[in-house]
Formats: sequence, C-alpha cells, structure tokens
Amino acid sequence: MSASPSYGPRPWTFYVLAALFTLFVIFLYGPMIAVLILSFQGPTASLVFPLREPSLMWFDELFNPRRTGDVVGAFNRSLPLALGVMLLTVLISVTAGFAFRRRFKGATAIFYTAIASLIVPGLVLSIGILVTFRYLGWSATWYTSGLGAHLSWALPFGLLIMFAVLGRLSPSYEEAAYDLGASRWQTVKEVVVPIVFPGMIAVALFGFTLSYDEFPRSWLTVGSKNTLPLEIWTMTTNVTSPALYALGTVTTIVSFLVIAIALSSIILIQRKRSRGK
Amino acid sequence: MKKTLLNKTISRRSVLKGGAAIAGATAVTGFPMVWAQALKDITLNHTGMSYSTLPDIAKQASTDLGFKVEMSVVDHPGLLNRLVQDPKSLDVADLEIWQSKVAVPQGALQAVEIAKIKNWGELTPLYTEGTFAGKEVSRQGDSPFEFLYREAADTNGFATGKTDFANFVPGVYNADTLGIRPDLVGREVNSWADLISPDFKGKTAIQNIPTNGIMDAMMACEAAGLLKYGDKGNPTQEELSATIAKLIELKKGGHFRALWNTFDESVNLMASGEVVIQSMWSPAVTAVQTQGIKCTYQPLKEGYRGWGNGLGLLAHLEGLKRDAAYEYLNWYNSGWVGGFIAKQGYYSANPKTAMAALTENERGFFYEGKAATADITSPTGEKTNSAGDKRDGGSYEERFAQVAVWNNLMDQAEFLYAKWNEFNAA
Amino acid sequence: MTPAPTAKSSMLPTYLQVAPLTVVLLLFFIVPVALVVVVSFFRYQMLVGIVPDLTVKNYVDLLSNPTTWTLYRSTLKFTLIVLAITFVLGFWIAYFLVFHVRNLLTAIGLFLVCTVPFWTSNIIRMISWRPVLGKEGLINSALLKTGAIDQPLDWLLYSDFSVVVAYVHLFTLFMIVPIFNSMARIDRSLLEAAVDAGASRWGVIWNVVLPLSKTGIALGALFVVTLVMGDFFVVTVMSGGLSGSATSGIFNDLQFLNYPRAAANAVILLIIVLMIAAAIFRLVDVRKELVR
Repeated sequence: MSASPSYGPRPWTFYVLAALFTLFVIFLYGPMIAVLILSFQGPTASLVFPLREPSLMWFDELFNPRRTGDVVGAFNRSLPLALGVMLLTVLISVTAGFAFRRRFKGATAIFYTAIASLIVPGLVLSIGILVTFRYLGWSATWYTSGLGAHLSWALPFGLLIMFAVLGRLSPSYEEAAYDLGASRWQTVKEVVVPIVFPGMIAVALFGFTLSYDEFPRSWLTVGSKNTLPLEIWTMTTNVTSPALYALGTVTTIVSFLVIAIALSSIILIQRKRSRGK
Repeated sequence: MKKTLLNKTISRRSVLKGGAAIAGATAVTGFPMVWAQALKDITLNHTGMSYSTLPDIAKQASTDLGFKVEMSVVDHPGLLNRLVQDPKSLDVADLEIWQSKVAVPQGALQAVEIAKIKNWGELTPLYTEGTFAGKEVSRQGDSPFEFLYREAADTNGFATGKTDFANFVPGVYNADTLGIRPDLVGREVNSWADLISPDFKGKTAIQNIPTNGIMDAMMACEAAGLLKYGDKGNPTQEELSATIAKLIELKKGGHFRALWNTFDESVNLMASGEVVIQSMWSPAVTAVQTQGIKCTYQPLKEGYRGWGNGLGLLAHLEGLKRDAAYEYLNWYNSGWVGGFIAKQGYYSANPKTAMAALTENERGFFYEGKAATADITSPTGEKTNSAGDKRDGGSYEERFAQVAVWNNLMDQAEFLYAKWNEFNAA
Repeated sequence: MTPAPTAKSSMLPTYLQVAPLTVVLLLFFIVPVALVVVVSFFRYQMLVGIVPDLTVKNYVDLLSNPTTWTLYRSTLKFTLIVLAITFVLGFWIAYFLVFHVRNLLTAIGLFLVCTVPFWTSNIIRMISWRPVLGKEGLINSALLKTGAIDQPLDWLLYSDFSVVVAYVHLFTLFMIVPIFNSMARIDRSLLEAAVDAGASRWGVIWNVVLPLSKTGIALGALFVVTLVMGDFFVVTVMSGGLSGSATSGIFNDLQFLNYPRAAANAVILLIIVLMIAAAIFRLVDVRKELVR
C-alpha cells in the first residue's frame, strides 16, 4: 500500500495503475500521432491513411494561406489574448483569493456568482455579451468583449485553484514573520508569495490554456477578426483537413516547448529555493 | 473636379505547387482609378462565408485597386448575427439571396445605385431580369430577381420589377445537385430519388443546414413519387411535416451514414468512401477530385437547386469608404474573380468577362461543355480533371436552363427549424 | 481557507482586493445573462426582428414541444455516461499520480504530459478521431488485417460511441486536476493509521481516500457536466449530425436571428445546469471544504 513510506518493493496495484495510465496516455496521444503523420500528406491530400507522397506542403499552406484561412493572423490574436487573460487571471484571482480569507459582506454571493459564471453555457454568454455591447454602443473586438468573455471563463477556475492553495497556507508562517518585525508587504513578498507560487503557476497555466482554446464564448464576441479556434472552425467549413492536421502538429510542438520551459523553470526555482535563504 | 487616371494593368499570376500545373494569366485592363491617392489608405472589409470569401480574391483586389481589401470568414449564422448586431465591423457583405430577405428589412444594407455599377448591363439576366436564355427562370424558392431591386434609395424592401436601386450587386452563383462516387455507386444515377433509394442504404448523407437539406429532401421525395408539393420554394406546414417524417423514417432505418455541417466533412465522407451519394457543393467535388478520387457532380433529370450570392453595402458606409466600396463592386465583376472561381465550379455574374479571363481550354470546359484539351486545375493549382474529360452537367446554358428551385428562407422557416430539430433528435 | 492572521481593523483592502473580480463578473456575466433573460420574453417576427412585446410564448413553445425534451434527454444521457467514465479514469489516474509515483518531479512531469494535448485546438483533436475510427481508419484496417472482422465496423464513427469517446478524450483532464489537488492534501499519516488499524487495501480507499477527495470529485463532476451540457459542436460533428443536443437547438435558432427563442432555450438550459450544480453542492459543501 502506498501509505507506507516510499521505499521497498512496489505492490501489484502499482503495475495495474501504471498500465492504466499508459493506456490513457496512448488514448490521449493516439489520434494526435495520427494527425502528426497525416500532416505530411502530399498534394493528393487524402484524409485517411495510407500516407501518399510525403511532403511539407501543408505546413507551407499554413503560413501562406490560399484557401486555408488566416492562421498566422488568428494566431497573432489568440496568443496575446491568451497571455493577457493569463496575466489578468493571475492578478485578479490571486487578489480575490486573498480577500476571501476573511469573512466579508457579499462573499457568498460573489462566490456563487463566480461558480455560475463557470457553469453558464458558453453560447448563452456569447449572445449576452454581444447584445450588451450593442446596447452600450460599443463594437465587439477580441481585445475588449473577447477578453471579457474569456475572463468570465478563466477567473472562476483561477479563484477555485486559489481557494485550494490558500487553504493550505497556515497563518502561523505569517504570524511568525510579524513577530520577527516584518511589515505587511514584506510578509507577502517573502513568505506568502513563495509558498503560493506553484498555485499561481497553475492559475497562469489554466488561464492561458482556457483562453487559447476557447471557442463557444468567443463565437460572437471577438468581432470581425477571428481567434485561432474560430478560424479553425471556419476553416472546416471551407477546407480539407491536411492543413488542419499540419496546424495541429505545429501547435502540439509549441505546447511541448512551452511545457519544457515551464518545467525547467520550476526545477530552477526549486533549486534556488533549497539553495538560498 | 474629379481627377481620373486611366490605368492599364496587366498582371500575370502563376501558381506553382509541388510540381502541379500553372494557372492561366489574367488581364485587368482599362480600370479607371478615381481618387487614387485618397483611397489608398482605406481598408475595406469583405465578410462572407467560406466558399466565396477567399483570401486570393482580396489579395488580387488590393493589388489592382490600390487600397486594402481584407476578408473575414464566418459561418451562416455568424454572418447574419454580425450584420444585425455589429454592422460597423464589416463594409461589404457577401450574403446568400435568402439571407438578404432577413437583412434588408432590418435596414442592414444601403441601396446600391445601379448607375454607379459600370458593367451592370453585362450582368447575367438570371439576376437582373429573372430570365435565362430568353425564358423565365423558375420562381420556386427565392430566385435572385425577386430580391435584387428595391423601390427607392431609402426604402428597405424588395421591388417587384426593375428599378434604379439594388439591394446588392450580383455575386457568385451555381446550380447544385448530388455528388456521387461513380466507381462505388454500382449503377446509373439520374434522379433525385436515388438519394433515398434503398440501394444506397447506409451510404448516403444529406446536408445538415436546414434550409438546404430540406430542399434536397423535397426534390428526392417528389422525384420518388412519395409526396407532391405546390411550391417547393414555399411549402406548407403539412408538406414539411410529411417530408420530415419521411426523413426520420429513413434515419431510423439507418439510411444516412451521416449528416454534414461543413465542407470538410462532406469532402471527407466522399473521399473515404463512407458515402457514395450525398448533397454536395461544387468546390467539395473539386476537392475530392484533387485527391485523385473519381467524384461526379451528377446532373439529374428533375433539375438543379440554384443558389446565388450578392455583395451588399452596409448601411453605415459613406464618403470615401463608399467610393472605395463601389470601386470594389465594379472590380468584382470585371473578370479576374470570374476566372478564379470558375475553377471551383462557380459562375460569375458577368459571364462575358469571366470567360475572357479563362484560357480557351478552361472556357471550353467550365462554360461551354466541351471536352478539356489539357489538364484542368483547381484555383489553387491542383489537378482536378484530365484532358478529354467533360464537365458534369454540360454547358452553362444547359445547367441554368434546368434550375428547378432556388435556395430560400421559406415563410414557414420557424416551423422548418423546429421540425429539423426533431429530425436531428430522432 | 485559513483565516488571515492578526485581524486588521480596516476592511477596505479586502473590498479593494475583490473589486476587480466583481467588476468583471458584473460586466461580463451578470449583465449579459440578465439581458438574455429579458430578451427571452420578447417576440420574434421574421423579417422584422425582435419586437419588445412581453410574452411567454417562447417558453410555452419550447416546453410543450416534445423535441425539446428529446434533445435534453439525449444531452443528459451523454452527460451521465461521460461523467461515469471520466470519474473512473480521473480517480484512478489521480490516485496513481499522487500515491504511487514517488518522485514529485516525475509526478508533475507526467501530469504535464497529460496537459499538453489541451493546447491543440479542441476542434482539431476532435476531427483527428476520424482517420482513426472511420471505415477506412486505423482501427478498422488493423482489425480487418488481423482477420478479427470481415466487414469494417461502422458504429465506431458517427455514432453515440464516437461522441462519448470524443467527450472523454477532451474532458477527462478536468476531472483529473481537482481530484489530484484534493488527494494531494490528504495527510499520509491517516492512511498509515488506517493500515495499522487493519484496513485492507480496498478498505483504505473506500473509507479514507474517497471521502477525503469528495471536494475534488464534486468539482470535477461540476466541470464535466458544465462542459458536456454546454457543448454544441462535439456532438454534432462526431455523431455525424445524427444526434442533436440542447445547445444545437439554440444554435439552429441563431441561424436566422431568432434571439428570443434562442434566449428562452438558453435560460432553460442554464436553469437545468444550475439545478445539477446545486445538487452537487448539496452532496458536498464545496465552499465549506475550500474555505476552511
């Protein structure tokens, strides 16, 4: 049983679960590997196997759009939008999370509103935001209404994560700091932030991912220039898949790179922490 | 005083794609550029659906006209929603005739002064007169002529005859039919009834866009003698209920392999052989052919389902931007676009200049019903037909003389959508 | 969560801290939803637009139409199936990551491995199942080659099966994350105590791990329910259009700008989802668990 200290031979359950995990990973990645292979299809763009005349033409198509839609342009909107959502989500969720450590009037109402904002079907909110903007006389754009729509989705997630993280933060650390004469700001900087930092990374990751891949809430709210998921959706109404497969491959590679960077930075931070102080 | 520059530009456009063939050269001549300097900072947004709103057109327009044209692609509901809720976000709307039925009464588009459209006289009588080759075109459904004209510059409606103002400028159009895999279908297909024939059980598909799908279904049911319709373009509730009931019966019996929503799905279904006969759009047929798979856009004896698009000017356009938009509208039907979209099987509202923009081989193949003398390629350069092939359905004249019904938004549309939901849910 | 230490007398900082969240929620959730509710009581006249006569016609039409109920039944069916599968998968994978993987870094690494696919668009991941499940696809070709079957299986694609597969593929992560988070907080000494008290392997899971992961499970369930019930494109594309869902009905109404009816349908959907969420919160008081 894993309850025992982590030394000694592994129980049989480990192998069963490890097998399950492996199968799950294969399940997750299987279709994507199929996509990876198919993205090298030649000009007789067959959508199924076998691979004929391997070529890089569909990757070229991505960057020089003919029929395929403006992938690069859409990416140049999705990426800054996701980064913006990520930053705002961290800032807003973290500060709100701190607020919730105390009882204040309206706390329950705001909490349930946030949950409701998560639950509301994206399509519904999309219509609502578009109509709201219309009555206010504003035009919908990806950096105003689109940003807001994404935030309505990412903030509740961030809030819930912060709840979980701050819940583990024992007040004794902060009290010890005060006793030692630290100011409030110093305490936050030196004691609280380092402890909740992994949580903040989780919030950032979630915020980015949720925004980057968001479709239903963006559908009507991004204005005339599409974000990447919307562009891909309209591409399926006009274009055949190998270009989409090439896009899938490129995106996955980019994700791997970002994960690698994130992981290495976590390792570096851990190392610095254990070394320093 | 207006300064006009007569600007003769001849552009040669070649496409090299992985060794495939070279597309024809085009010539844009005698195109007057008004206010050339003033217009060059304008950006015009052309929003429409994916089959007609192609980035290459914007690129060529920007080159020829001197100001920037950009394309925004949306899906069907997206376009109407944008027109009504966020009109400032687009300048030129590329909408289907039946969509204008919704957009115009709500004041989304301004009147197009026909006098300002230089090649109006050359535009196909299909739109401008409601006739084709001297005969009146089918009025079943929303035919282009019925929606083209408006009474006056400031009214938002549809005139019954010709006037000096239009709701939109004619755009691309085609006559749709069923697509088949001639190598897999096993027998001759020459009637809409074959869509619901038990011979093809489990190997058919119909489009999941209610306004289009129901038309295909009605053509099929009528051809098979199962139902009779007064006006297929405007069926009654009983006719719709009966048609949907038949569809549900077929669906429960496993007749349909799938219903497709997007172009990509329809191509996939046909190319992979999952279906052998289905509703299809012409560029999808082309796409399947570029994969080296035989696919035929089959002419059927009951006729075609026609559809058309138009380019509308948004109500908020004024001043220089409106001038630029008129330049664009004039350019659109002056030849290059016609030649370009001919290669995916669509027709330009100005057949004369479109044909002039094609090579003799292409002209013969796409418009005149002749056998190709050399390989035919798609707009992006892939080969679709070999020398000796004839275009399915024959010549331009043969095709449009047989339009049985037009795509439409019927009076019972709300009822239709509710019923179609039932079909989806069954 | 743990209360703030050394009570400060001013509440102002707290209100300031929660202000940005409130503003965003107000502008981008409360107001839009309120507008949607208002619009749902308007009338739609085709070719004219929305007419602000207050009427309950939309609701009456929708609720009395059997198709509405068929669509909701279909959506709920998918929701329950997907919930069950993602729960089983999510629970055991989180369990594996928390309790069986010894090195924290490895655990994080494996966890991230599960996350990477999520940065590829949902749409692409969904259509990538076609070459795998289709009649000419990978699975069928493999089965045919080995002689296990002699006709390609057509129920792999464009069926309820493919819809469920796609949902599980897309949403299991949303179950794994909260459960992982809950499990990681379980004090290991509790498990040791249980073992010492003579509990079997299964007994420990049933009596200790499961109850303590309640919050995570509830949150995961909430996420999955929300996502499946609010989806319109997965079910349409993967079923080949043969299945409808609650949201595809809304989507159809939007096709020709019938906002009032779409809004009414949306409000009904929202109420149903809120009811399910309330039920989940009844079982597990999430707020209390989190804000300890």
